[in-house]
Amino acid sequence: MRKVNSNGQAFETRREKDLLSHLISTSPKYKLWIAFLLLIILFGMFAYYRQVKYGLIVTGMRDFTSWGIYISNFVFLVAISLVGSLFSSILKLNKNEWAKPLIRVSEFIAVAAIICASIIIIIDMGRPDRFFYVITHFRIQSPIIWDVMIISTYLVISILLLYISIIPDIALCRDRLTEIPNWKKRFYRIMAINWVNHPKQVAILQKTSKILSVAVLPVAFAIHTVTSWLFATTWRPGWDSTNLGPYFVSGAFMAGAAIIVIAMYFIRNQLKLKSYITGSHFNNMGKLLVLLSLVYLYFNINEYLGPAFKMVGVEGEHITELFAGKYSLLYWFVQLGGLVFPIILLLFRKMRKPLPLLIISFFVILGAWVKRFLIVIPSLQHPYLPIQDVEESYLHYVPTWEEWAITLSSFAGLLLIVTILIKLFPVLPVQEKELVINTDINPLIIKNES
Amino acid sequence: MKVKRYLYPALKIFLLVGLIFGNNILVYGQDAMEDAKVAVSFSEENGIKAITAIAVDQTGMPIEELELYFYVKRTFSLLPIGDPFNSTNENGMLEIEFPNDLPGDDAKGNVTIVVKIKESDLYNDLTLETTKNWGIPISLDPLKEKRSLWASSANAPISLITGVSIMIFGIWFIICYIIFKLFKISRIRL
Repeated sequence: MRKVNSNGQAFETRREKDLLSHLISTSPKYKLWIAFLLLIILFGMFAYYRQVKYGLIVTGMRDFTSWGIYISNFVFLVAISLVGSLFSSILKLNKNEWAKPLIRVSEFIAVAAIICASIIIIIDMGRPDRFFYVITHFRIQSPIIWDVMIISTYLVISILLLYISIIPDIALCRDRLTEIPNWKKRFYRIMAINWVNHPKQVAILQKTSKILSVAVLPVAFAIHTVTSWLFATTWRPGWDSTNLGPYFVSGAFMAGAAIIVIAMYFIRNQLKLKSYITGSHFNNMGKLLVLLSLVYLYFNINEYLGPAFKMVGVEGEHITELFAGKYSLLYWFVQLGGLVFPIILLLFRKMRKPLPLLIISFFVILGAWVKRFLIVIPSLQHPYLPIQDVEESYLHYVPTWEEWAITLSSFAGLLLIVTILIKLFPVLPVQEKELVINTDINPLIIKNES
Repeated sequence: MKVKRYLYPALKIFLLVGLIFGNNILVYGQDAMEDAKVAVSFSEENGIKAITAIAVDQTGMPIEELELYFYVKRTFSLLPIGDPFNSTNENGMLEIEFPNDLPGDDAKGNVTIVVKIKESDLYNDLTLETTKNWGIPISLDPLKEKRSLWASSANAPISLITGVSIMIFGIWFIICYIIFKLFKISRIRL
């Protein structure tokens, strides 16, 4: 029986109607949300204009704290982007059927986060016009070059991963959606690359999807490990550690799982998908979050126990500052509020219901961001060589409004990209069953007839 | 009351006009500054290298207590040498010692020595540059440099180049293969 929505758009099934309706109509709430995000981005652009005009002096960064919240935010965004590989690779290859509806959301977030991370790293440059010097003065010994290479690779892989999983649904949009503007029709036609559910096409797509699922994993591990090496290869207290790679990667997966919970909560409510993203998804995500948080807690203990036991020189000063000094409030908020309490709370089934899980995930995400701040800034304020005869401003770091505006606009940018992707493509796979690759089946039968 | 009402604005205007005029006089005074002539000579005795500068005015009279600044040009900025403040004596003469441990710019040990007059009340700013082979000669021959992490990019360790290249080409080969497969998908028609 054909279903028709308020725009006069006909659908074949209830599932199609539920998952494709939001692609046709645009609510005032959606427009308001986009306008709000654009406003924040514009504000960030104004702050960046000031930074380009006057230089990095408008930031709180000085000689010692030369990496501020831009780099903390960069590490955070790279961490968030790992969520794509968690769902598209780890959970998929382990045949976790429950996680399937969340794969696409995770890929949306991964693509958006890695784009924003790439932009923020250029914003951190005092002379962005010299960005191409990275290529013209290419130096393979530099961990920064490794990072540039791996970020661009991961960006391409994330886009491919998303695109490959979405092709059949784009074709469905091309065939089904009649009540959409012409540009959108043309867009779906181009993006669908002549997809007709032909068994040969299905076979190729499934094969490439498998290859990518395997290939993305080492790249995802590499991207965050290399990011950790930017710190580990710099001689500063708190960074001089062999634990940094797994510590970063495990923290990234934890933050990624938390952001998925937040995304699925809002998507489920805004797009009215309660029968597709169910309480059991939240329950499972809660369990997954506990597991990932426990792994991260283990690496946290590893990271701090050794230096805290020895308390050697500047390393000891750094630990003291974190445990009982000026950063102690933030430090204990992160360790308790963003890690230990979520683990304990999520052990109870009641806490794995949508709303409590959403609140806990917010704390995990906030903790994850502050954690990156604590990794970057206190270490920079304790160089091994003593600080002598310097300006007072070099000794402290307080981010300026320009830095906060740019950082906020990077979050707005991430949300904007995700919102646009949700508006362009179905958030869940529309075709209920896996596409069959049996060549005996007449391709015409499974073609998306309009 | 009425007097106060007009007196204060009048006083303000008077002060403002005074300030503008005063400023003009100051500017006029700056215009009247003259150029100094500085002659720089170099000497070397018992391994001690010295730079001597003699400053005279337009009439040829020595300038006393003129502050001169000495620098050596480095890659990104000027390295100050001598005391923080160096003034000429009654003969307009000033001598500073050149440090023996500065690396030169090239294999001949050439360095660029810069002498400056800056922000003087009486004389215009002046910059003199002289090249002298007083630095320690440095070898920039990349062929003689050992392959290491801290070497120039041309002399990166072979193991690093090979390792990174294999990984990057490996993953980009897969990416290209997938794009090729997408192209193949687009060619299949019913």
